[in-house]
Amino acid sequence: MNNHARRNLILGVAITLVSAILLVTFGLHARAMTTDSKASQVAWSAASSANQVNPTLEVPPPKQEPCLSCHIFGEDKSLWTPVGRWLIFGTFGLLMVFGIYRSASVWKTHAPWKPLQARMADWLESRYAYRKPLGEVLNKPVHTWAQRWWYCLGGITAFLFVVQAITGILLAFYYKPTAAEAYSSIQYIETQVRFGAAIRMIHHWAANGMIVMCIAHMLRVFIMGAYRKPRELNWMSGAFLLLLTLVFGFTGYLLPWDQRAFWATTVGTDIAGSVPAVGNLVLVFLRVGWDVSEATLGRFYGLHIIITPLLTVTFMLAHFIMIRRLGVQKPL
Amino acid sequence: MTTIDPEEKKETVPFYPDHIRIEFYVVIGILVLVLVAGVLGMLSPVGLEAPADPLNTPLHVKPEWYFLGLYQVLKLVPPTILGINGPMFAVVVILLAVVALILWPFLDTKQDSKKAMRLRWIFCIAAILIMVALTIWGEVS
Repeated sequence: MNNHARRNLILGVAITLVSAILLVTFGLHARAMTTDSKASQVAWSAASSANQVNPTLEVPPPKQEPCLSCHIFGEDKSLWTPVGRWLIFGTFGLLMVFGIYRSASVWKTHAPWKPLQARMADWLESRYAYRKPLGEVLNKPVHTWAQRWWYCLGGITAFLFVVQAITGILLAFYYKPTAAEAYSSIQYIETQVRFGAAIRMIHHWAANGMIVMCIAHMLRVFIMGAYRKPRELNWMSGAFLLLLTLVFGFTGYLLPWDQRAFWATTVGTDIAGSVPAVGNLVLVFLRVGWDVSEATLGRFYGLHIIITPLLTVTFMLAHFIMIRRLGVQKPL
Repeated sequence: MTTIDPEEKKETVPFYPDHIRIEFYVVIGILVLVLVAGVLGMLSPVGLEAPADPLNTPLHVKPEWYFLGLYQVLKLVPPTILGINGPMFAVVVILLAVVALILWPFLDTKQDSKKAMRLRWIFCIAAILIMVALTIWGEVS
């Protein structure tokens, strides 16, 4: 047996031993904890047999766990919550199985162990031949002058969009777009939901940051003259992205359904309504009627969370593909 | 794909890992700011004003700060310009400006020069200063 195989064998055995010891220790601890809590529970089998003897006796159903997060994180059970148990036993169990397999494999083949990620990469390569196209994407040369700080403004905007998407989805879990509940659902997010206030603050500031970065990126491109042939469509898609970002801001501003939101939307849609010829159409489309109402809230919500994101993602993809294709413009 | 001649090739770095590393640092920086925003949010939430009341118009209605400059322009235009409704005129001008912004690459097709670039610098700085001034004016008024 060569040196390499011996080292692998020792490593495998060590992993197996350590995980077995930890598994047993934690398992005994967990068992002690769960038997303690079982002692205090009511014996429901006894209660239901009593019910058969005396049918008039009202037996309440076993208490359901009403709160999912309590179920996941546990209530005053320290480490031994379901998630903790699954994580620890799952991790060490998998490590143990892996250690046994690895030791057996090295023992049997006498060959050095081939890492799992290399196996996975080969498996995928034999099926999809992804290495060459991916290599072309990853090895594309970038000019050293394209590494100055003012070239990262657009990238920051894109990253802030990702932040907005994630925090926006988290807020949408709790937000209710109705006149009766919008305001109180935001209060609920800020006071009751775990990290709700933090998520809302991030969504608020990342929105402002996205607009600042978008404008900064556009000014940079404008000043450097990077909109010229052949990059006309890069510029146009970027201009549409700026407008979409502003639509995000405008529609998102109504959602808290407080005085500021309501009257800013009233004034904003009024201005849109003052456009000659199509003004009234635009006004009625935005407000779903002549006044800002619950229907307006629903419309802005739909625009804010579905239509505008879809359009933005589409334009962003086009923007990125075109940038990739043409490269960053060489400065004057 | 843009072709890169060998002479220029010396001035490049590969996208991965060199360029990705820079992007990664930028992302980490933004994430730190996001985390700071989250902590601030836990300490003092964004908060809400009074619930929306269609029957009670507040004294000062203001849009978001990024519309405030344009809103101030609309407030400042006289009621009538050249015999037509002033605000309507201003809205049309702003819309035309947006259209010009979108179509700008087709409006400015001349060969770029240092002089044109200097002009664009001056234009941008002036535009930023005017918008900032209008925004501050709108905020305090």
